[in-house]
Amino acid sequence: MSFDNGLRLSRRGFLAGACCVAAAPILTPVSFAAMPGDNRFVTIILRGAMDGLDFVQPYGDPAYAALRPKLGLRPDTGLIDLDGFFGLNPAASALMPLWQAGELSFVHAVSTPYRDQRSHFDGQDMLETGGNGKGERTGWLNRTLAVIPRSNARKAIDINTSMELILSGPNEADSWSSQSNFALAQDEIAFLDRLYAGDPAFAKAMEEAKKTDMSADSLYGDAKRGAGIADMAKLAGGMLREDYRIASFSINGWDTHVGQQEQFKKAVGDLSTAIVALKDSLGEDAWRKTAVLTMTEFGRTARENGTNGTDHGTGGLAVLAGGAIPGGKVLGKWPGLSEDKLLDRRDLMPTGDVREVAAAMLYRQFGIEPDNLTAKVFPGLSFDTSSVYLKG
Amino acid sequence: MALPTPTLAAIRYGYGLRPGEEPPRDVEALLGQIEEGASEKPRFPREGIAGRLDTATRVVSLLAAEAKARKAGNPNEDVRKATQGEARRIYRQDAMARLAQAIHSPLGFYERLASFWVDHFSTSVMKSLPMRMIVPLYEAQAIRPNLGGSFTGLLSAAILHPAMLIYLDQDQSVGPDSVAARKSGRGLNENLGRELLELHTLGAGSGYTQEDVRAAALILTGLSVDNRAMQVVYQPRFAEAGPVNLLGRIYRDDEGDGQDHVLMLEDLAANPKTAQHICGKLVRHFIADDAPEEVVVAMVTAWTKSRGNLTEVYRAMLEHPRAWSEPGQKIKQPFEFVVSGFRALDLPERNFANLLRDMDDGDDDESPVQKAMDLTGMAAREDSKKKAGRANALTLGALQRMGQPIWQPPSPAGFADEASVWLAPSQLSERISWSRMVARIFGQKMEPSVFLQAALADAAHPETSRIIAQAPNKVHGITMVLASAEFNRR
Repeated sequence: MSFDNGLRLSRRGFLAGACCVAAAPILTPVSFAAMPGDNRFVTIILRGAMDGLDFVQPYGDPAYAALRPKLGLRPDTGLIDLDGFFGLNPAASALMPLWQAGELSFVHAVSTPYRDQRSHFDGQDMLETGGNGKGERTGWLNRTLAVIPRSNARKAIDINTSMELILSGPNEADSWSSQSNFALAQDEIAFLDRLYAGDPAFAKAMEEAKKTDMSADSLYGDAKRGAGIADMAKLAGGMLREDYRIASFSINGWDTHVGQQEQFKKAVGDLSTAIVALKDSLGEDAWRKTAVLTMTEFGRTARENGTNGTDHGTGGLAVLAGGAIPGGKVLGKWPGLSEDKLLDRRDLMPTGDVREVAAAMLYRQFGIEPDNLTAKVFPGLSFDTSSVYLKG
Repeated sequence: MALPTPTLAAIRYGYGLRPGEEPPRDVEALLGQIEEGASEKPRFPREGIAGRLDTATRVVSLLAAEAKARKAGNPNEDVRKATQGEARRIYRQDAMARLAQAIHSPLGFYERLASFWVDHFSTSVMKSLPMRMIVPLYEAQAIRPNLGGSFTGLLSAAILHPAMLIYLDQDQSVGPDSVAARKSGRGLNENLGRELLELHTLGAGSGYTQEDVRAAALILTGLSVDNRAMQVVYQPRFAEAGPVNLLGRIYRDDEGDGQDHVLMLEDLAANPKTAQHICGKLVRHFIADDAPEEVVVAMVTAWTKSRGNLTEVYRAMLEHPRAWSEPGQKIKQPFEFVVSGFRALDLPERNFANLLRDMDDGDDDESPVQKAMDLTGMAAREDSKKKAGRANALTLGALQRMGQPIWQPPSPAGFADEASVWLAPSQLSERISWSRMVARIFGQKMEPSVFLQAALADAAHPETSRIIAQAPNKVHGITMVLASAEFNRR
């Protein structure tokens, strides 16, 4: 706790009205030179807008319970307390050993510069291009490859059937998928239901397909989906254990407009499965040198909606994992949830740029010059060695 | 919902919209495709017609030589295996070429008609190993050049092709009192005679009897296949001498030249029941399972007036107002679904061709590519296996899973055509799976709303557009365009 100089969000800090600048180092300050080209970096994109307020619940915030009468939990109703102010959704309990080992952190109230429109497609483009506008068509992780000083750390792979935007661009990167064409995510199934709602014959076929279809296992089954997600993460771990140093993959299923409890539980379960499988397949030594950044295009509304879900918001949550991060903390500058503190009186106010979190991790893992990070990887971002994410 | 003619023309009468390809403006534009298509060389057989005849006869004589050696106690497994491998590869290349033909051709109506008639006069590559090579030849030789002319011409070309005679066992059939029967003890096989009446011309339940079936089979005796030249031949030794009474007409083969079957085909083609059967089937295929009677009537009238000129029959269908109303009553068959999906994705020809290369590279054989790969190690081999599996899953494997493998109808009646068959729950799951797979591979960076416009133009329901725009990720947006009711209906 010695370096936790008021940076860690806590109920005490919050209530005392501390300025709440999150400045704990998000990576173990290891000597870069000691590990030539040995560090790993993984990005996991959560597509569909993950509800950070459900994942890491600010149960200590006085406004929280009223905003989330159905979705909100407290330690006495199952929430896993993290620090007296925030608690972890019990669906992520598989991640608690990592938290206890100091290999898991969260950054709350972060976002990309994307504002107002709340479109998944544009939001994900922004998250993956890391730019300020729509014009950019290369991914920031691809641009990163060109500025990593050690050429042997430039080998990157996208675990997908084809390259996703985040790793697309002029620099060489590979894509490789696991065998499983795994099952649909819950939000994707919900969207198909909506798609067929106007066509009774299709709606009926879809209903029956989900229930009785011979291929139901592979397309709609939870167990099969979990196995597919684990395979994907294992493959990433296997690649990183060999000569790859950067890997990226996506997990869908976060667009929880309706019946969030059930859907979110499954999505959080998928992410937990992925992180644990990644750790297992990396092995102890490689895991120690690995930093995982899990991020989403934007958060969701602070208030739950009328259908037991949440709608598209702004401020969200990043999940950091790995042996290379000093974990066990909820970072970020907590804006508060009272009506006047919300963005447009609806969304968690973003107080940090998720790109700065990424920049800090890249700086620490690969020794990339801050100038390169702000000019080439994240044009327009302000970032230097005084970043709050590097202090401590 | 009323749709503008070009959109409906592309969706109902073609293989769907393709970016950069102007959809047919009107009926004349659709009909104009027929002559152009019929005069074009299709992409299969890969070696062309003469080349394929060479290949097929070479394979047949190889197999015959091996069979002979086997009988003599000297089987040559290598020859047999190599031949099987070659037949498999040739089939795969041709099947992929058939997909490519439908995807890349701007003559969608002509291509749809080719599929209709290949299905109407079904033959199957599964019948025997040489048939893997002959069925594609059959489509190119017998069906495609003749589907815009007289029905008599098309019927004769289809029935009098080695593929049909082999498929329906005519090469096994001999007249009960023929020279061959007396010598070998073989007898009559009614298969082709029956399907000729039931499927190809008059139609089931149109009033012919078992006696007529037998009569047709007797008239067909003498027709056989010279396997060494892969040609239809007339073998007087197989022929049953007349007279034979079929539907009240006596066929005698007075000249003994074996031409009585030609007369029979002409008579069957001219039979009003045939016109009724074929016109009804065309309307059920293109417009609705519950065929609007007035369209059928108009077509039968045109048939009679033009003495079975098929282009005039198609014209009568297309010029009927009912041909342009109530879209979406039919469900695309799997082949149509996959072809229209690739068209909407606007996959460049080269990329599609690469899929075939991937499949060839994945072969478990001694191809030079494979040998080179073995030298570079197992990883490359696994990679090539995986690519081959993926290419297959996108194309031929997908059609197999959806229940419509190319040139492999389940019976001489062809594939089912009713909407309900192609909207079964498992079918929908397969289509969602395929949509998701192509979306992940080819659609990663596409804008779903742009893709929706390309795929369906004004046929997309406004609510569908809204849902697509809100999809939780682009891949799912693209998936939903392809899996949507509008994209699967026509």
